[in-house]
Amino acid sequence: MKRSFVASAAICAVAGLVLSGCGSSGNNGEAANGDITLTFLGADYGTGPADSSTAYWQKVAADFHKANPKITVKVSTINWNDYDTKVKTQLQNKDYPDILQGEFFPQYATDHLLAPLSDVMTNPDAGLAVFKDGFSVGGVQYGIPFDTSARALFYNKLAFTDAGITNPPTTWDELKTDAGKLKAKGYIGYALPLGPEEAQAESYLWMLGNGGGWQNSSGKYAINSAENIETFQFLKGLVDAGDTEPNPATYDRTADSATAFAQGKVGMESNGPFLTATIAAAGKLTTSDYAAVPMPGKTGPLTQTLGVADALQVFKGSATKLAAVKKFLDFALNDDNQLAWAKKYALLPGTQSAAAKLENDPILGAFVKALPNTVLYPSDSNWTATVLPAIKKSIGTAVTGDPSKVLGQLQDLATSGS
Amino acid sequence: MAETVTARTFSRRRSLAPLLWLGPALVLILLVVLTPVFIMLRTAFRNIDAIGFDHGWAGWRNFRQVFHEPDLHAVLLRTVWWVVAVVVITMVFSLALAALFNQTFPGRRVARWALIAPWAASVFMTAVVFRWMLQPGSGLINVLMHRFGLLDKIGDNASHADWLGRPEAAFWWMIAVAVFVSIPFTTYALLAGLQTIPPEVYEAARVDGSSTMRSYVSITLPLLRPALTVATLINIMNVFNSFPIIWEMTRGGPGDQTATTTVFMYQIKAQSIPEAAAMSVVNFGFVIVIVLVFLKASRWKEQVS
Repeated sequence: MKRSFVASAAICAVAGLVLSGCGSSGNNGEAANGDITLTFLGADYGTGPADSSTAYWQKVAADFHKANPKITVKVSTINWNDYDTKVKTQLQNKDYPDILQGEFFPQYATDHLLAPLSDVMTNPDAGLAVFKDGFSVGGVQYGIPFDTSARALFYNKLAFTDAGITNPPTTWDELKTDAGKLKAKGYIGYALPLGPEEAQAESYLWMLGNGGGWQNSSGKYAINSAENIETFQFLKGLVDAGDTEPNPATYDRTADSATAFAQGKVGMESNGPFLTATIAAAGKLTTSDYAAVPMPGKTGPLTQTLGVADALQVFKGSATKLAAVKKFLDFALNDDNQLAWAKKYALLPGTQSAAAKLENDPILGAFVKALPNTVLYPSDSNWTATVLPAIKKSIGTAVTGDPSKVLGQLQDLATSGS
Repeated sequence: MAETVTARTFSRRRSLAPLLWLGPALVLILLVVLTPVFIMLRTAFRNIDAIGFDHGWAGWRNFRQVFHEPDLHAVLLRTVWWVVAVVVITMVFSLALAALFNQTFPGRRVARWALIAPWAASVFMTAVVFRWMLQPGSGLINVLMHRFGLLDKIGDNASHADWLGRPEAAFWWMIAVAVFVSIPFTTYALLAGLQTIPPEVYEAARVDGSSTMRSYVSITLPLLRPALTVATLINIMNVFNSFPIIWEMTRGGPGDQTATTTVFMYQIKAQSIPEAAAMSVVNFGFVIVIVLVFLKASRWKEQVS
């Protein structure tokens, strides 16, 4: 008797080692007495324990639980640097959260994992309309924009005065001249983060300035278009002249360019509203020491800038579970919570009603107003699966190597699957 | 009659008895070594999407993609450099260190213990520490080099101080770190080999009037061959498969300009899981070929038996 108990315990232990991760969710989070546990997996937008997103979500979950004692939301977050790898690994192991916040992958929908937004939100059209198509697959919307941003050129007014520049640049030539003057004073003239973190954003902002982009007007990839090659040749010239930091291909936005700007070492850089939070945290520059203007293009400033949104998406589940999710999403996306999040990270809201309330904000207002008219990343499934990782990895080498070769290889990759 | 049956069962039992002792190890090998190999091979022939869904058989398509990677050639060449440079430099340093530690000198015990440190520390941690020491603005190595006048300028926009941003410089620094973490094991393996050489052999040589150099070349090195063979072989495999140093210090970047095949495989994973599996299979093949060639060249069997 005893021996067989030991043996079965041993077998369980071995099986547990082999199959770990499968056993715990056997009851699907639904208890017999009607209690429901939802799992929430989000991205961590913080820079450390002090401003971790886990704390934010735990508070939202606790407030929600007070109003709905039957529903418990278990929160976990993953740092943005590891987000892609960890989320993919978790999904590859068929360990699905109920709610996933962060990047929207069309594969979630094409692999039939997601519930349509209309099933899990009382008002599925609450999100900003500009992002609707990007979060839809086959005409059905699966993600709601949770937080958004628009990009602009930030410049350090103190550095500009120091270098004798009166007005921020509006064209590439002006930007190059100004960067040269700033460099002569010991600043990084223009910080160019083409490292893996967000090379797609920095590249895109420059491409837009020359009438280029990742795709042409008919939605076909055109990464090595003449305009884009010219754009990268201009950037290469900027790097060669020492007007940027020395090695853009290993320079990231959050860890490097934003930090350096906040320390007052950078003359200009493109960034989102969240840079203001980094600057405030560093305490080196006051709000009157810097300003944001539209990103310069080849012959004039961009009329449409880049808009980026992160999504909330819900994995399929039983009707009871989806009903619980619906309650939670309605709560998590109410204006108070949206504005609290926006304030915490200096990001823009994802819902129309919350965004409208920020239009007159002294810092975020200008960015909010730019949102409806922004240009977005491609939204086909090949983008997130193949093209984007390749861009993150190698587009930075276009400014040290041969732009037409690097962009050509990316174009080959983007078009090889189709 | 009854007796023979018992004898037969007994002998059958006896022949099965070793299985009982080998069993756990065999199961472990099956689970931990062979299963992953099988899954790797299988994955390399499947069509698996970005979030891990299997869409069926892919034939050789993943392998074709690997061999069409525009940078594969450069990565392979770099891997050869990486293995040769790290192993050769490690062996040279370790031979010298082993010879030193084989002498009696005051503080030898402490020195021998100290050598273990880089081995005891996790390779990943060592790589992180080196990355910090090479940080352009305030890394210890840069600050010291600046103080000694070896670097004209440090800081965010000092191009020379940004070692890890320049592929060639980054690669040499990573080779240095790999040598640093490989030396302890190699030295101890060689030291063990040195201690098996009987002192009488040296005595006889001295009586015959042989010089120290001559003794080293004609006695120490030949008698050290088994230890050298094992140490080199293990180092080759370790260094070829080495992932944490490069991944932690440069992520194989910029682009894949500091990636070896192992790191390149992981980079590919971001854009295609089955293609990365195919690259793994190729890597696996490389290791097997390298080991076979090396064993052939060093006449392994004669050494060991």
